[in-house]
Amino acid sequence: MLISVLLSLPVLLCGAALALAFRSNRAAAAAAISTQLVSAVFVLRGVAGLVHGGPALELSWPWPLPIGRIAFRLDALGGFFLSWSLPMTLLGTVYASGYLHSYFAKGRHGGPHYALLNLISVSFVLIYSAQNALVFLLGWEIAAVAAWLLVIWDYQNQKIRFAGFNYLVSTHVGLFVLVAAFMLLHSRTKSMDFADFSRFLAQPSPARGTIFLLLGTSFALKSAFFPFHTWLPRAHSAAPAHVSALMSGVIHKAGLFAFLRFTLLMGRPEEWMGFTVLAFGALSAFFGVLYTSTQRDIKRLLGYSSTENVGIAAMGFGLGYLGWAWDVPTLAVCGFAGGLLHLLNHAFFKCLLFYAAGAVYRATHTVDLERLGGLAKRMPLTATLFLVGGLALSGLPPLNGFISEVLIYSGLLSGSAPSASNNVALVAAAALLAFVGAVSALSTTRAFGLVFLGNPRDPSLPAGGDPPLSMLSPMVLLCAGAVLLGLAPEVGLALVRGTTALLPVHSSLPEVLRPLSALIWATRALAATLGLVLLARFWQGRSARRAATWGCGYTAASPRMQYTGSSFSAQFAQIFEAFLPAVWRKRLPDEIFPQRSGHLASHHHDAVERRMFEVLGQGEDFVTQTSSRIPEQPRFAFAAGLVALFVIGALVFGTGWPW
Amino acid sequence: MAFISNLLALLVMPFFLLGLVNRVKSLWAGRRGPPLFQLAYDALRLLRKIPVYSTTTTLLFRLAPWVFLVTACGSAAVTPLLGSRPLLAFPFDFVWFAYVWALGRVLLMLAGLDTGSSFEGMGVAREATFSTLLEPALFLVTGALCLRSGTHSLSRALVPELGVRDGSLLIWLCSVTTLFIVLQVETARMPVDDPTTHLELTMVHEVMALDHSGPDLLAIQLGSAIKFYVGASALATLLNPWAGTWSAVSVVANCTLSSLVAVIVGTVESLIARLKLRSVPKYIAVGLTSGAVALLATAWRTAGAP
Repeated sequence: MLISVLLSLPVLLCGAALALAFRSNRAAAAAAISTQLVSAVFVLRGVAGLVHGGPALELSWPWPLPIGRIAFRLDALGGFFLSWSLPMTLLGTVYASGYLHSYFAKGRHGGPHYALLNLISVSFVLIYSAQNALVFLLGWEIAAVAAWLLVIWDYQNQKIRFAGFNYLVSTHVGLFVLVAAFMLLHSRTKSMDFADFSRFLAQPSPARGTIFLLLGTSFALKSAFFPFHTWLPRAHSAAPAHVSALMSGVIHKAGLFAFLRFTLLMGRPEEWMGFTVLAFGALSAFFGVLYTSTQRDIKRLLGYSSTENVGIAAMGFGLGYLGWAWDVPTLAVCGFAGGLLHLLNHAFFKCLLFYAAGAVYRATHTVDLERLGGLAKRMPLTATLFLVGGLALSGLPPLNGFISEVLIYSGLLSGSAPSASNNVALVAAAALLAFVGAVSALSTTRAFGLVFLGNPRDPSLPAGGDPPLSMLSPMVLLCAGAVLLGLAPEVGLALVRGTTALLPVHSSLPEVLRPLSALIWATRALAATLGLVLLARFWQGRSARRAATWGCGYTAASPRMQYTGSSFSAQFAQIFEAFLPAVWRKRLPDEIFPQRSGHLASHHHDAVERRMFEVLGQGEDFVTQTSSRIPEQPRFAFAAGLVALFVIGALVFGTGWPW
Repeated sequence: MAFISNLLALLVMPFFLLGLVNRVKSLWAGRRGPPLFQLAYDALRLLRKIPVYSTTTTLLFRLAPWVFLVTACGSAAVTPLLGSRPLLAFPFDFVWFAYVWALGRVLLMLAGLDTGSSFEGMGVAREATFSTLLEPALFLVTGALCLRSGTHSLSRALVPELGVRDGSLLIWLCSVTTLFIVLQVETARMPVDDPTTHLELTMVHEVMALDHSGPDLLAIQLGSAIKFYVGASALATLLNPWAGTWSAVSVVANCTLSSLVAVIVGTVESLIARLKLRSVPKYIAVGLTSGAVALLATAWRTAGAP
């Protein structure tokens, strides 16, 4: 059945070629969507057996030197990631056809964009089924370059070119580290095959720890862990909404996939590795969520929240590592299953949130919290979808984010670590997770409240409404998925089950889940009650008396006097001042009778990025100068990137296609 | 039997405890004070009223008070209101408890923002900020209690244990401190919040309910009363020497101790002035620290045990 998965590659490439060839945007979209649909069906057929614990699928054939032999191997882990990555990309492409409509109306050709979306799917198939380091790197690089080209869709804007360049550099720094790790492995094994890597890594050796750290760094850069996250908020706020959604929800999960792939290759980890992963995840979750609390740009906010969520997943994986190292099978299964499920859940609600943010951008041409307000009345559907996504993001019951966090909590709080001090560390991690959840609720409340509730803050913004069906339908599907995965976690857990079965520990997922079944039923009961309340209140009180908001005695309140985003987070930011440096720019009137008008502006910078630029010497100037050296006609850069991509692909396949 | 007693307690005690707090405050102030079941009379009065909604608000505003009430009842279901045998007990019910509580809080905060009033925005921002410090404190304490008792359920973990040599006395003391602070913050009591202040600028919890009226306001008041009872009874269980076994003595002791907690809350409220808003996070940090001490003490305990 692996051939069914690999067959999707030519289908996707054909789709990409067609999308480039068609002059009409509608036809290009149809080509991309139909080929992605076909390949998603191929892939799902191929992996259906795997997630239920079927044997891994292998395929290999000889290839001319220096590669020697190309091997593909798809196991439950790859199957899990493939099972949702391609459908999610398909939804993103459908969304794109609606989102980019205003650009198409101005005569922009969307063919390359659709072709690149197909290439993203190609890269998933390559990465998730590779058994050879070169195939893996090929997929890795296709994903990186295609994502860069997708980010700079609006390339006329210098800021967006800069964000794209920033991403490109960061992702290649990660690539160098990865290549270094592979070279190290190659020098020891004289092979590029993962099976040979596995044989070497399973033995204790001094190189093992080094390789673990190199790989960890590279994958952390890919998944935007703190402190390697600086490219992420820029890229996410610059890219079109569907690209941000796919990058955050799907593409960057490749980093965590690769981490798990090498975990399985490496075999039983050492204890320090577990603590490293747990601490690293906790650090990411903590800082990611802190930064969400002060952002003005919704998409930047969601970007930081990705750093938070991969951190939560990594906390799960760290727990899994520790359980494996300590020989406590239930901990290992809890951790890995919780982390994997959280990745799936995150893909659902984060894509949903980015799509909703895109709908806001389409309607108002801004995603600045301080200028929006009152959109729930003009865009009721988008508001509802954003709210569901936001509640899921905060891990609140009965939505899907809750279930995966509970799974991780149940491991952290189980008290089954071998020593008391280890238990204390795990409970402390649980308390940190609780903090992260609460701050995430603060950010969700702030973002949703300022954008959708209250009154419009800026009357000069255009007054658009809910988006068209092509944008709405992916959102509705994702929202339904988030609710379904929350109410029936068995669905998500069934996908994860095969992967946990790959762990050589004597415990299975059903065994770990048994104590949680009562909690899941309690959540369902809560959901049913809330559903009844919703039904009752939907009709009740619609025709009730209406009056102005109580102004506490003040009668001339205006929308400009509403609470702002910065005042909302002011007290919180003050408590965590050490981590959230604020920059104040002010000119206060000093005369007794001020003649000149003063101003005051506060801004929260990314501490890591600031420090990084300081180290670079000339601060932001340096990077702006560098990016201004990119040719003035970036269309050439765009075209050159595309051509390079195809030439490399053609060379690799042309030199040794076996049939 | 346990089921019916729990339901009865949930129906009666929230009204009684809030009445008791107000009675204690009146006595300290030299007044006679309102009847003990004043909240019940208020409830009947509010039920008859027709609500008025702000023109700015949406469906969310009508929804939030009732969701808040449902979540308060949900959290009451897993709390050992009478010292043992709660309505529901399952592994990791305290995680469920904390998140259900958070859901109600988030909805109420959103309803506050829904009105577009800057006063309510102020209250919402404060509530959100304080809750970020409160949640980890709650998890530190429940985590420590679970490690100490080797169980994963709130009703078992709260059963007191007072050995001096193995450090469980320290765990117990710290847990009581933290839970008391959690109770004060979550139910908007002095010195964190003044439920009777007339100045919207300094309110936290009350300001979020400014625009609610009629039955909606009742839902919020009832929800807050239930939350107060949940907190007080959890604290009472931790203080109750007969907790953990279902007996008449234990039930009576738990009710008495819950009332005692209400009396202490009322006394604190009468004798202490409200903290400056800037100092509230420091007060919560005391709870956080004592939670951390409780957690660290579990390591000592297990290391010291044979």
